[in-house]
Amino acid sequence: MISALLYLQYHSFRNRLFTRCKRLKQPKYLVGAIVGGLYFYFYFFRYVFFVPGRQRSLGTLGLSPEHLLLVESLGALALFVTVLMAWLIPHERAALTFSEAEVAFLFPAPISRRGLVHFKLVRSQVRILFTVLFLTLITNRGGNALMHAAGWWLILSTLSLHFLGSSFARTILLDRGITNWLRRTLILSLAVLLAGIVVVWAQRTMPEFNWSRLSDAGAAANPAERVFDTLSDYAQRVLTSGPALYVLYPFRLLVRPYLARDLPAFLIALGPALLLLLLHYAWVVYSNVAFEEASVEASQKLAVRIAAARAGNVQGAMKKQKGRRALFRLAPTGPPAVALLWKNLISAGQAFTGRLWLIIIVLGVCLYAGLGNSLHSAELFSGLTVLIGVVLGWSLLFGPQLFRQDLRQDLPLADVLKAYPLRGWQIVLGELLAPVAILTAAQWLLVIFGAGFLLHARGMKDGPLPLAIAFAAVILLPLLDLLLLLIPNAAVLLFPSWIQTGREGPRGIEVTGQRLILMLGQLLVFAVALLPAAIIFLVLFFVIKLALGLAVAVPLASVATAVVLGLEVGLGVMLLGRLFERFDLSVELSP
Amino acid sequence: MIQVEGLTKLYGEFVAVNELSFAVQPGEVMGLVGPNGAGKTTTLRCLAGIIPPTRGVIRICGNELARDPIAAKRQLAFFTDEPRLFEYLTVQQHLAFSARIYQVRDYELLADQLLTELELSDKKNALPGELSRGMKQKLAIACGLLHSPKVIYFDEPLTGLDPLGIRRMRDSIVKRARDGAAIIVSSHLLHLVQQICSHILILKNGRKIIDGTLDEIKRAFSEQPDDASLETVFFRATSETGGSPTPPPLPPP
Repeated sequence: MISALLYLQYHSFRNRLFTRCKRLKQPKYLVGAIVGGLYFYFYFFRYVFFVPGRQRSLGTLGLSPEHLLLVESLGALALFVTVLMAWLIPHERAALTFSEAEVAFLFPAPISRRGLVHFKLVRSQVRILFTVLFLTLITNRGGNALMHAAGWWLILSTLSLHFLGSSFARTILLDRGITNWLRRTLILSLAVLLAGIVVVWAQRTMPEFNWSRLSDAGAAANPAERVFDTLSDYAQRVLTSGPALYVLYPFRLLVRPYLARDLPAFLIALGPALLLLLLHYAWVVYSNVAFEEASVEASQKLAVRIAAARAGNVQGAMKKQKGRRALFRLAPTGPPAVALLWKNLISAGQAFTGRLWLIIIVLGVCLYAGLGNSLHSAELFSGLTVLIGVVLGWSLLFGPQLFRQDLRQDLPLADVLKAYPLRGWQIVLGELLAPVAILTAAQWLLVIFGAGFLLHARGMKDGPLPLAIAFAAVILLPLLDLLLLLIPNAAVLLFPSWIQTGREGPRGIEVTGQRLILMLGQLLVFAVALLPAAIIFLVLFFVIKLALGLAVAVPLASVATAVVLGLEVGLGVMLLGRLFERFDLSVELSP
Repeated sequence: MIQVEGLTKLYGEFVAVNELSFAVQPGEVMGLVGPNGAGKTTTLRCLAGIIPPTRGVIRICGNELARDPIAAKRQLAFFTDEPRLFEYLTVQQHLAFSARIYQVRDYELLADQLLTELELSDKKNALPGELSRGMKQKLAIACGLLHSPKVIYFDEPLTGLDPLGIRRMRDSIVKRARDGAAIIVSSHLLHLVQQICSHILILKNGRKIIDGTLDEIKRAFSEQPDDASLETVFFRATSETGGSPTPPPLPPP
């Protein structure tokens, strides 16, 4: 029977591969495949297979035995948390996820329950092997690629079996009357007890945390590295001695083959890790749990999620649908673009409700007040200000990629948008507003906290500069967000088949290549768009600084820059609007 | 109300709609019929301003769609065969959103009436994912009718509806026409077309075969007009030879 299941698996894979090869006839995929192939070669493969003399073990990469132990401990800790979550979060009965077609063909077929479990395990191996290949390419910069791949395989396979086994155990517990909440309380209590033991031990036996190193981070050449070093030193001491060493022991066994410095060390580490894997396999295969009914339900949910993804609702595809309250009441009259903002804010989900923002503000104020009374407040504020600066930079870089409640989400419903009695620029503006609003709200909060922290940081007390910088950030950030969001939205309209919209996107090396080309293009466009504003800012900044000082130069130059950016954004929205009006979805979105 | 002159839509070399001209007056229901791939949906999408025609002029209530799309689109509603809804908006939120888009003042009362009429009152806070297919279609209709359109297009309006839903949809189309709307119904269900349409346009390979009242069409394609059904006329009109009045027989079991 298993041969039929293997046949299904093999041919599904083969047909998928053929489909991908066939689409290379289209130039856009061929160019993408070439660029993607070059990227993978230069960034991953040549480090793994083709460069002689680079075959170095982890030990020769500069990791001392203590650091190796820290990495092992952190890896074990990550696994511990992952496993803990697998016991804490899920609440459903055991369900092996099959597609609807698999349910229709396999469940009525004369296949034993154990046969179905084996099919599921074989299928999960395909996914695991691809993940192993990917992770090996990413993480193997020196060292033995095969050892690393085997290490990743052991970790991922054991985790996969553990998730399955824990879902079976959960079902057995539910059948015996142990509710989800009782199980969660017991496991959480155990986890808190273990964490408490580690904390008490650390407080009693470890030397005090070195606050002065953290406070000097702002003055260091690389502040982020200094903060990281300080924290990692402390973590290394806590995790590599005392009770944490023993609590994490089974998880260390699983991480060791991956971190083995050479072949003998790998072979020694392999035995216990393989034993763990086999124990998990036996646990899963010999658990006689009825999973069919829950699996049918899960497959239906999966089908709904796929349908939602195909209909353009990526968020709906990711999780269970729930009606969400709007952030504000939408009046029936007024600028129609606000309707799109309102709609997309609802789409952004409960993560961005007024209540959440209120909680963040209260937490921030409490942190501010609490740290203000601390003996090391100046040091902590310095560190936090650096951290906020880094996060703000990252929010500009990655925020527009993360928040996609715009044309990238709605393009599959472009026919609906085009039927509305709205100008193109109104639709484009409305579509851009939600991600801008979310990003700006988050950035303004960071700026407010950052300015507050900066005012109390060492050496910055009573200076007006923090307020000037905060003012500049407050007026420039929304415009920069708009400019950054205009670019991918323009790309969606100009090259719709190159951008992943709400539909389930294609996958493969060629798609990676397409994304690389687009990313470079977007960076180039942003740099060019920023140039006039940057020139205006620099000229005004230096002139005003000479005449009136730094604290006046920053806000005044920022206001002028904001005007230039505003003009650019306005022009961009109008152009994009015309592009949307001319967008022929019968041509652009045809398969 | 709806005037179409020389509508042509090309996809590259492929002619999806070819020199189509017709008019639908207030109170008329025009049935758009034709075999698969005849160009019915493409025609409706051009008429709704969703895709631009390659050539031709479309006027909605006197407003040329290409020149003044906003004024034209304010007067129309397009109901697709598959209801196109935002998965993350509830029933009530869909109506609020539509009201703002079409600037419908005091929409609440009208929305309540529509929800009652369409039996969706108890589903106000439901998401489309929680609705049956028929209910989704009703929601799409409620959103489309909120601004009291004068021109309405239905693309396969009965798909997925239960018998009661079919009767209600049929009555609703007739009622809108009686209230003065100009309506185009595209459907493969010839008995529906025969029941509710005052005019019929038969399309094949993007070309108009004929348009007129049912009697006019029967006269053109049947030797005995009184006996001929629309189905007979349809097969006669769309067959390659133009002669066979019935579809090919089913293979023996």
